[in-house]
This record gives sequence, C-alpha cells and structure tokens, in this order.
Amino acid sequence: MKLASYRKKSPWILHYNAGGCNGCDIEILACLGPKYDIERFGMINTGNPKQSDILLVTGPVTKRSRERLVEIYAQMPEPKVVISCGACASTGGVFRGMYNCEGGIDQYIPVDVYVCGCGTRPEQIIDGVVQALGILEKKTKELEESVRLKKEAVNEGKQLNRRNIADEIKPLLS
Amino acid sequence: MNDYLIPVLLIVLAPIIGGLVYGFERVVKARMQRRIGPPLLQPFYDFLKLADKRKMIVHSAHAFLGIMHFVSLWFALGVLLLGGDLILVIFLHLLSTALIILAGYSTRSVFSHLGANRTAISVLAYEPVLIIIAVSIFMITGTFETGAVYLWDEPLLYKMPLAFVALLLILPIKLKKSPFDVAEAHQEVTGGVELEFSGLFYEAVYTAKWLDYVFCYTLVFLFAGSNILLGIGLIVFTFFYLNALDNSSARVNYKQMLRFSLGVAFSLAFINLLINILS
Repeated sequence: MKLASYRKKSPWILHYNAGGCNGCDIEILACLGPKYDIERFGMINTGNPKQSDILLVTGPVTKRSRERLVEIYAQMPEPKVVISCGACASTGGVFRGMYNCEGGIDQYIPVDVYVCGCGTRPEQIIDGVVQALGILEKKTKELEESVRLKKEAVNEGKQLNRRNIADEIKPLLS
Repeated sequence: MNDYLIPVLLIVLAPIIGGLVYGFERVVKARMQRRIGPPLLQPFYDFLKLADKRKMIVHSAHAFLGIMHFVSLWFALGVLLLGGDLILVIFLHLLSTALIILAGYSTRSVFSHLGANRTAISVLAYEPVLIIIAVSIFMITGTFETGAVYLWDEPLLYKMPLAFVALLLILPIKLKKSPFDVAEAHQEVTGGVELEFSGLFYEAVYTAKWLDYVFCYTLVFLFAGSNILLGIGLIVFTFFYLNALDNSSARVNYKQMLRFSLGVAFSLAFINLLINILS
C-alpha cells in the first residue's frame, strides 16, 4: 500500500511518564531541541492519544499510573507502536521489587522497542524511534492480512484461538 | 469569464495553498529557533498518514460537526474570494467556528469542553474588532462587497492604518498563535476542541486550519485594494510578524487576552472608524 510509506514520514509521538524520575523525560525534550531536532523527521510531540502513532513510555509502572497507561494505550487508534524508554520502563530498573511498582511496562501493554540506559541518551531515543518506524510499517501489513485464511478450516469441536494460529504461522510469514 | 478564473482557482486550490503556507511556516519557525525543521511538504505527509489511520468516532454528530466546520469554512472563503458581502463572510466564518464549538461541547471529555469554552471566548475577543473593521471599509468604499474592495484604486491601508494595526493584533487570536493561543494550548488542554477527533475526521479539522491561513491572509490582502504588489508585501510582512510573535512570546490567560483585545485592538479600530466618519 502506497500510504504506508507516508506513515514513516510523519510519526506523531505521545509521551507518557509512568512514575519515573524525569531523567528520561528531560532527554526526550532534548530530542525536540535545536541540537537533535527530531522534527526534521516530521515527528511532533502531541499530547493527544487519539491522533498519535508512537507511545513513548518512561518510568516503572507504579500502581497509581497503570490504569492510565492501559487507558492511553487503548485510546490510540491502530496502527500504533510502543517504545519503552529507559531501564525503568523496560525492566523496572532501580525500582524493581519495590512495594509500589512492578517490573516494566510490558506486563501491561505489548512493547515493540526497548531503549536501554538509565537516563537514555537522545541518540538512543532517536535510534529507537527509527526502529519503531519500521515496525509501524510492518504492523499495517499484518493488520490487513487475514490470519485465519492461512490455515485450513477446523471442526466445531476443536476451535483454535486466533493468537495460537498467529504464533504458529509467524515463521511462515517472515 | 476571466474575472472569475483567478478566484475560482484560488478557491479550488485553497487547501493546497494553505498546506504549503503551513509547511513553510513550520520551516521558518524552526529556522528562527536554529533548528533544521521538517520538509516543506510535511503537512501533506501528515494528511496522507491521517487518512490511513483507524477511525475512532465518539458519536456520529461529533464527526459530522467536524466535517461541517471544514465545509462551512471553505464556503466562507469562497464567498470572500468571489467578492461577496464582507459582513456575510464574517458571519459565515463565525458559523464555522460555532460548529466546532458545538462539536467540542457534544463530547464528555473535560479538555474538549474547556477548549470549546476558550474558543468561544476567543470569538468574543476578535469578532467585534472584525465587524468594526468591516464598517470602516464600508465608510471609505461605500459598499460591503469585497469585489469592489479588490478593485478600489487607492489602497485602504493609507486611509485606515489603525484598523490594519487592530487586525494585526487580533490575527494571532484567530490563527491560534502564541500569545493568544489559549483556545488550542497544546501543553495545557492538548488541542482543545480538536481533542476527540481522530483519523479521517481529525483531517477535516486539521485541513480547516490551513483554510484559516488563506482566509486570514485574504483579509490582509483586502487592505491593499487593487495594488497587488502592496498586497503581497502586506501578506509577507504579516507572515513574518506572526511567526516572530509566535516564537518570542509566552501564552497569556484568557482574561488578559480579552482585556487586551477589547481594550487595545477594539479601541484602535473604533478610533479609526471615528476618523473615517469625521473626515
């Protein structure tokens, strides 16, 4: 599809802080500044989940913020990509095992790209976003493809879950 | 036949021209901040991407109001470019803004309501000034028809400079530029009334913004009369003025905006009207 290539040229980013220390958020803001200037790739930092393509999450998921994280994820229209930004968002970081948070955002929402570093560097964030763009393009193709057609029709007795089929045929697709 | 060729072309191409203006504006704004900035065609890339995203509708009336906002704004622009009544044009523009305000109120989102409130307040701020400017134009040319104003020999700017200053003061409110962008306020209310639109329906609201640029720059062009060179000069001046102002100023709250616009811009336009009546 032709339109998919334009999607790579205008990714709109939604940034959410799920209870981190603000270190990664400052680095994300540095990306927008004159030195790194990610707007030259057409990226805008929108605050609005209904119009954005990439969800950039920082911080471990605290018990207060997890509902909001899932709600924001649900409000984003397809196709969408999630980037976990920093050590806390990826694994829990120094907060792992504490009473108020759980290890990483991938316990609640599916994550496509993990960016490492405690205080991620702006270069790493840009690299992560560029990788996410490739996934964004691939995701659309998966959306358009019918998984069920790849498999023979089954009897009523042994109905298969759609996700099981997807896992089964994933090696075939790639 | 030839008289209608240029206006009709402008009307048909208005979204494309507006998109180019918006793209150029983003580049200029970035260069003012010593950034490289997005490519010139960036608004069109955004347009194509939004067309492809999955649509999430709050309810059908909301989506319909968003599209009608775009359509009525285009209609208002068409009447303005074809030489219609200036008062009619101003009220058609008001109608399109009223539709988007209704769309804002029709959802249950708090930010959307807040944005609709603020949009209504900004209408209150700029509308009286526009009406006074239209009446001043009537006092000089003796007609509300914009078609006659385009052909007026002497540029209106020399007769009513204070009205032009008043227009420059309210244009940031109309285009949602920085000192007076309470209606949009991306960091506070994340876009205000346009918050709940998504996909194809956000596109209507997004493209309406481009049409607004063409509308406002046509209003500026009115001040040059039949002098096209002066008109282009005024448009270029207004463009750089708006961007410099947007980059160099912080947002004021709605009370300050209302006080400034009704206190300074309205009285400037009114003094201008008095001078025009007396002389």
